[in-house]
Amino acid sequence: MSSLTVTFVEDNGTVRTITGVAPNQSLMEVGRANGVEGILADCGGACACATCHVYVDPQWEDRVGPPDDIEAAMLDMVSEVQLSNSRLACQIKLSDALDGLKVTVAPIY
Amino acid sequence: MASAGLETEQAAICPMGGGDASLLARVSLTDPEISARPKPYYDAMRAEDPIHYDEKLGMYLVSRFADIQTVQRDPITFSVEHGYSEQYAKGFAAEFKEILIRDGGGFFPDAIMTDPPYHTRIRKLMDHAFSAHRVKLLEPDIEAIVADVIESFADKGQADAVKDFSVPVTIRVICQQLGLDATYADKIQRWSLAVTAQIGRMQNREQMIANAEEICELQNYLIERIKLREAEPGEDMISDLVHATTEDPENPKLTFAEVVSLVRALLIAGNETTATAMTNLMFILATQPDVAKLLQDSVDDERLLSRFVEELLRIEPPVRGLSRMTTREVEVGGKLLPKGAHMLLMYASGNDDENEFTCPRNFDLNRSNLGRHLAFGGGPHRCIGLSLARMEIRVAAREVVKRLDDIKLAIPIDQITYLPTVATHSIERLPITFKRR
Ligand code: HEM
Ligand code: FES
Repeated sequence: MSSLTVTFVEDNGTVRTITGVAPNQSLMEVGRANGVEGILADCGGACACATCHVYVDPQWEDRVGPPDDIEAAMLDMVSEVQLSNSRLACQIKLSDALDGLKVTVAPIY
Repeated sequence: MASAGLETEQAAICPMGGGDASLLARVSLTDPEISARPKPYYDAMRAEDPIHYDEKLGMYLVSRFADIQTVQRDPITFSVEHGYSEQYAKGFAAEFKEILIRDGGGFFPDAIMTDPPYHTRIRKLMDHAFSAHRVKLLEPDIEAIVADVIESFADKGQADAVKDFSVPVTIRVICQQLGLDATYADKIQRWSLAVTAQIGRMQNREQMIANAEEICELQNYLIERIKLREAEPGEDMISDLVHATTEDPENPKLTFAEVVSLVRALLIAGNETTATAMTNLMFILATQPDVAKLLQDSVDDERLLSRFVEELLRIEPPVRGLSRMTTREVEVGGKLLPKGAHMLLMYASGNDDENEFTCPRNFDLNRSNLGRHLAFGGGPHRCIGLSLARMEIRVAAREVVKRLDDIKLAIPIDQITYLPTVATHSIERLPITFKRR
């Protein structure tokens, strides 16, 4: 079984690199399980609350891809802090292709 | 004046509450006039006494946006379980319980109105059913129901938005989701009111007994349906709940009592709340012609419709007060609360907080912080059904403006009456006139 590494940069600048991450879970689940500041995930990954909002590191944007329509509508509700590389972490499914992924956590909303 | 235009003039002067401080000493949220038209009370609280103790109610009212958020994000210090059970059937709890055990198949405490870690397990077993992506698949079904209900009165030129529109739409949708019989609509409506009255704090003993009997009937009906789904699963949420499993080998499934309480919660929580939002939709269309015009001109603009729904929920949140109880001494909003303090989160007041929403009384589709409203609560208890509710309201808004025109109130605004409860702010009847479009 492969294991992955992902990095969250919290809003206060703290860098949290998490290793030994199992694939086939969402980036939100990893953040929440490791107590990453700002990954509140109120709706439990239902793409319905935008409290798992992250900015994907420019180097990773292509591989992560854009949000679908439903996610984009949710991000529009927080347009105040939305950027072109905004994603909801619960909608990013981890896989080998995302080993090394780096994101910055959006301000707590 | 509504500013629903594409350019928002935030700089323009907007009507501010200010607040009449003398109100705080004089009135209670349980006073019928205040309960019906609470905004001046909220304004006074936010301005003068943000964690105001309402003596008659015996609760601390949390009125500012920031304080509400602090409370909802700390479910351990501010317990839903204690707050809710304290509120439930208050004054008559023992007798209420007895009636349910005697006639209603048992007393089933609300599995969702609990604290972590127990609550976390229950949410995990439910969240999947309500994802935004899953709800999107329901759109055609919801659209068919909404269209059918509107067509039932569209040619009559007048209707009661509550009885003819909001209630039948929401009951049919939730029945379809739960796999229940929609011909029970009248009963379900009565059952809903009986359940919500238990946290409303405005029932007397006779009403409590009548409500308890309604709840018994509801439970007996649900128990029968759940047993059926245990034996023979179908494509509905009752089946999902009965057969849901977690990874926890010790405790992989919901108990029967948990399922009964959850089905009851879904039926009720998803019913009056969403119906109230739909009535508010009609109210806004009838009273804010420029918002109505904007919607008519852009019915196919999904982004605008989504924004409309959120702003509708911000400006008139159906749920106005749910409770918490402190599990230790703690300071909130500058006030030291003892352990065991019973609190009510005033969502409507938070949504009107000038420090969070510029010109809060303006219906403004261009707010950049639209998603911050508190209508669905927040933190780990944030509404489970929010995607379903949003979808229902969005489809309703679209179908109403497509099919009806020139919607007007048929009674003066100050004659609108509201249900007597501190938990929701729900219009009782809304007579309207309209033309077919
Ligand atoms: C416009 C419609 C709705 C509004 C305004 C609304 C509002 C709310 C609010 C404010 C809460 C937070 C409770 C708290 O923090 O103590 C809540 C929780 C809840 N809602 Fe909704 N709701 C709506 C529709 C629905 C629907 C359609 C369903 C189900 C089908 C539903 C099911 C629930 C449940 C089960 C909870 C408890 C969640 C928990 O404590 O973890 N709601 N709702
Ligand atoms: S956890 Fe709610 S949107 Fe991601």
